[in-house]
Amino acid sequence: MRFDARGLRLDAHIPQLFIIAFLVLLAGAALRLDSPVGLMLGDSLVRLGMNGVLALSLVPMLNVGAGLNFGLPVAISAGLLGMCLAVNCRLRGLPGFFAAIFFACVAGVVLGWLYGRILNRVKGREEIAAAFVGFSFISIMNFFWATAPFSNPAMLWPIGGKGMRPAIGLRGYFAGVLNSLGSFTLFGVTVPTGLLVFFGLLCLGVYLFFRTSLGRAMIATGESEPFARMAGIRVERMRLLGVILSTVIGAVGICVYAQSYGFIELYDAPLMMAFPAASAVLAGGCLGGRALVRHVVLGTYLFQTTYVLSGPVANGLMVPEAAEIIRMLVSNGIILYALIYEGTRRRKHAA
Amino acid sequence: MKRFVAALFVALMLLPGLALASSYKVGIVTPTLSSSEDEFRGAQRVAEKYPGRIKHISLPENYSEEQETAITQIMSLGADPEVKAIVICAGYSGILPAIQKIKEKRPDMVVVTAPIWDDPDMMAKYVDLCLDTDWVKRGETIPEKAHKMGAKTFIHYSFPTHMAKEVLAKRRDMMRETCKKLGMEFVEVMTPDPTTGAGPGPMLQFLQEDIPRQIAKYGKDTCIFGTNCPMQDVIIAKALDLKFIMAEQCCPTPTQGFPAAMGLEIAPEDAGNFDKINAMIKEHAAEAGCAGRLSTWPTPVGYFFPEFGTDVAMDMVDGKLKDVSIESLKPIAKKVAGADVAFAKMKPEIDNYYLIIMDSIYY
Repeated sequence: MRFDARGLRLDAHIPQLFIIAFLVLLAGAALRLDSPVGLMLGDSLVRLGMNGVLALSLVPMLNVGAGLNFGLPVAISAGLLGMCLAVNCRLRGLPGFFAAIFFACVAGVVLGWLYGRILNRVKGREEIAAAFVGFSFISIMNFFWATAPFSNPAMLWPIGGKGMRPAIGLRGYFAGVLNSLGSFTLFGVTVPTGLLVFFGLLCLGVYLFFRTSLGRAMIATGESEPFARMAGIRVERMRLLGVILSTVIGAVGICVYAQSYGFIELYDAPLMMAFPAASAVLAGGCLGGRALVRHVVLGTYLFQTTYVLSGPVANGLMVPEAAEIIRMLVSNGIILYALIYEGTRRRKHAA
Repeated sequence: MKRFVAALFVALMLLPGLALASSYKVGIVTPTLSSSEDEFRGAQRVAEKYPGRIKHISLPENYSEEQETAITQIMSLGADPEVKAIVICAGYSGILPAIQKIKEKRPDMVVVTAPIWDDPDMMAKYVDLCLDTDWVKRGETIPEKAHKMGAKTFIHYSFPTHMAKEVLAKRRDMMRETCKKLGMEFVEVMTPDPTTGAGPGPMLQFLQEDIPRQIAKYGKDTCIFGTNCPMQDVIIAKALDLKFIMAEQCCPTPTQGFPAAMGLEIAPEDAGNFDKINAMIKEHAAEAGCAGRLSTWPTPVGYFFPEFGTDVAMDMVDGKLKDVSIESLKPIAKKVAGADVAFAKMKPEIDNYYLIIMDSIYY
């Protein structure tokens, strides 16, 4: 396949076009099956907010040239730790949620620094290294969760009385604090105002950050390290900062996710969470270049809405297996396409 | 006088033997703590009940890939002359070869399985007493219970991998039949498969979104049943919000779903105290306006089996229990569980393979 300048741009939109086509097909089927469209639209907004921050956390690492953050479980563990500390101190409601975010950020900075140091040593192979860092970190955390001396009995194993439960209910702590903040129903669609505003503010923060001189230095590092070095940018430092920023946003992301979901999920739950986030950013159109906030918003909405629609449609059509297979094809296919695309682009640049 | 001295001498000689007879050990085999808390803690409790007489071993975390290690571990119990009975509570397939080898060397060894999942006929041949939960029969008991609790619709949530398992598919078919008999509507919903791709996340999120839709469609008098353990957290949390009926979880126990969904604060000293835990659940259910809408078995089966299996095995070694039968097992089970336990034969022609169903507790 030839890749000229114009073709490159069209190729970059193939995953997006594919997912939109799939979505249109699903929406058509949903309408034919008389599915409750209002409820589903509300659900897709909730999904945008709860998964959006996790997808947003990929942006700094992509822009600094450290690749897709398949080590997202590291960031998620920081966030889980933050929430567990908040629940352990019995902090409730919005103050509890923000305390959890504060603890999560502190943990995120520490873990992000360690993680960034590792990624600086494996330059060029960050994605595969990140995936393994993520997987092995989950094992370390499993040991930690089983032995950590938390004391709130709402978090401990119900029979043994020691160690953390696999799922900790946030009912009575901060479940749904953002979702219900200022939420209203319009034409049967419940809009989770607080959740969307919080996500919007974070998006704005990331957008503005990449307009500052520090943000621009990061982008320059991601675009070409030799040029960045010549311009006097300390490349290693920028990369480390990018990883820390990604980890901190990811830690906040899981707090947002958990408050919406209603449970803190420990142990192996974060293992595969990097993949939907990566697929979402790629589906938004971030291929072989800078990652923009609009990629995150558009990609997360498109990608998560396929999840919202495919279940009810598949059940309505009595083909649950088919929906499962198509969804797997879409999410993994997008990642594969992105890797091939990036490889071809690099080869072209080198030539 | 001579006779008396001789008798005394014989008695003295016999004493160590008698002492040994009452101080034999029972080996208990369970999965690891992180694989299944119920069985592991159940075995720990038995060890506390009979101090110094229990040898508890846990099988490898990754059982399916380290089956040989598991067999060696179980055979090591058989090689210990002090061990006179082995109770295996593992719920795995492929353990029978270890039991066969032990029985060849030591035919007197009492083996109780509660449960293992090998060929039932072969198990009945080598194992002294096989126990399991009556999975298929629950296809009848759960809808009946839901009907009694006021359900008009029964929703069965599962996914393709589970429905490919014979026992679970049979149970679903039986549920459908029972619902038809009772005049309840049976609705089958497939969730995203947690065994493929992104893990249980998409399945749970689907449940979060689908349950309100179904309740909006069928009303509050709907019983929701999910075939997968992680589903129970979401189902029970939603039951508290939407007030529908949850007659039983996939693995009926007060420790599944309830603690996370209700945020039960179980103090370390109350951990494992099911009377207290059940009372707490009842209180939370009433607070949420769900009194009489939630139910389960009062004790976890996985926690009940190690103690019940050990008590039966000890009675068998001591000669107190000559023949196992429903009549002889029932009183021992009631003493351990604190509730009535119904036994049924796995097959009419097999006398040592029983399936159990416990009485329910309604919150």
